[in-house]
Amino acid sequence: MKTVTSTTNSASQRRTALNETRVWHVYARRKYEEPLHEIGNVMADDVELAKVYARSIYDEFSWVEMVIVPRDCIVTVIES
Amino acid sequence: MATTHVDNAALFAVLSSLADNKQAIGRRYAYWCNGAPALEAAVAAAAMAQDELGHARTLYPLLEDFVQAEADRGQVEPMTRTLHYHLAFLDRDFQGWSDFVATNFLLDNALTTFFEAAQNSSYEPLRQRARKIVQEERIHALHADGWVRRLARAGGAVRSTLVASLERLWDETLCWFGPGDDPTMHQLYREGIIDATPDELRSRYLQKIMPALSSLEIEFPASFNTVTKRWELRQPLPWDTWYAIARRYGSSL
Repeated sequence: MKTVTSTTNSASQRRTALNETRVWHVYARRKYEEPLHEIGNVMADDVELAKVYARSIYDEFSWVEMVIVPRDCIVTVIES
Repeated sequence: MATTHVDNAALFAVLSSLADNKQAIGRRYAYWCNGAPALEAAVAAAAMAQDELGHARTLYPLLEDFVQAEADRGQVEPMTRTLHYHLAFLDRDFQGWSDFVATNFLLDNALTTFFEAAQNSSYEPLRQRARKIVQEERIHALHADGWVRRLARAGGAVRSTLVASLERLWDETLCWFGPGDDPTMHQLYREGIIDATPDELRSRYLQKIMPALSSLEIEFPASFNTVTKRWELRQPLPWDTWYAIARRYGSSL
């Protein structure tokens, strides 16, 4: 029983170590005359991985521009 | 049937190896499209699998134009090909996500080093494909770098599993460029098909991967030469089991 608990804890620790905690909002536009608009979000602790994820997940259009913004940098002006 | 007009055994051999490696990487990546540690990583794995299989699909048709293909036409089609000139590491399923990351970081970067050296190739079909592949591989390299850092910094069993995967692939990947006097790669260099010798390709590759490994304190037998300002291997590679025709350890399957 002790072994099982130890293994479970170890697996849990590994999962926790790999859990992504940072949310990035993804904005993009298809035409230069259009403004950027939010198309979704990705979770990644690493900015480079966040860029890879945004490109591979939101690849349904040939965007002319795509940016990501970390959620924790957004300042709320009027709360919903 | 395609018109046969290229007679170049060295180029035929390297293109076969590139195509087989891309095909095998794509298939191994595809297995992880629903098994990656996060949804985002799974989607990225699917995208990269598509890219790798796409690269293979643009390389195999080149083989049809070679005189060397005439002996057995079945060997130039991925569906009928029985020779497998991919690395022995890719013979079996990945044992875990760390094998995916190691392949992405070590092998994918090694093949890209070759394609970078072929961007001004005298063989036009390879030149065109190399430029496109190098462009697409930029995102793969970012993925590899991000995940190597992530797994290494997680510490404990996660880090040691990653290091074990990297170690299993290290020698064979460095050997893929061939020994210093490899007649195949040297012929490609002499004919302007690539712009580097095997040793120079290996050196370019080390400059690409070693800064990340070194910054993460992952130990491999390479050191930074402060005089030449370049990363260099500290010990010779094991060539005794390297099979030159298939550019891999052991004979092809």
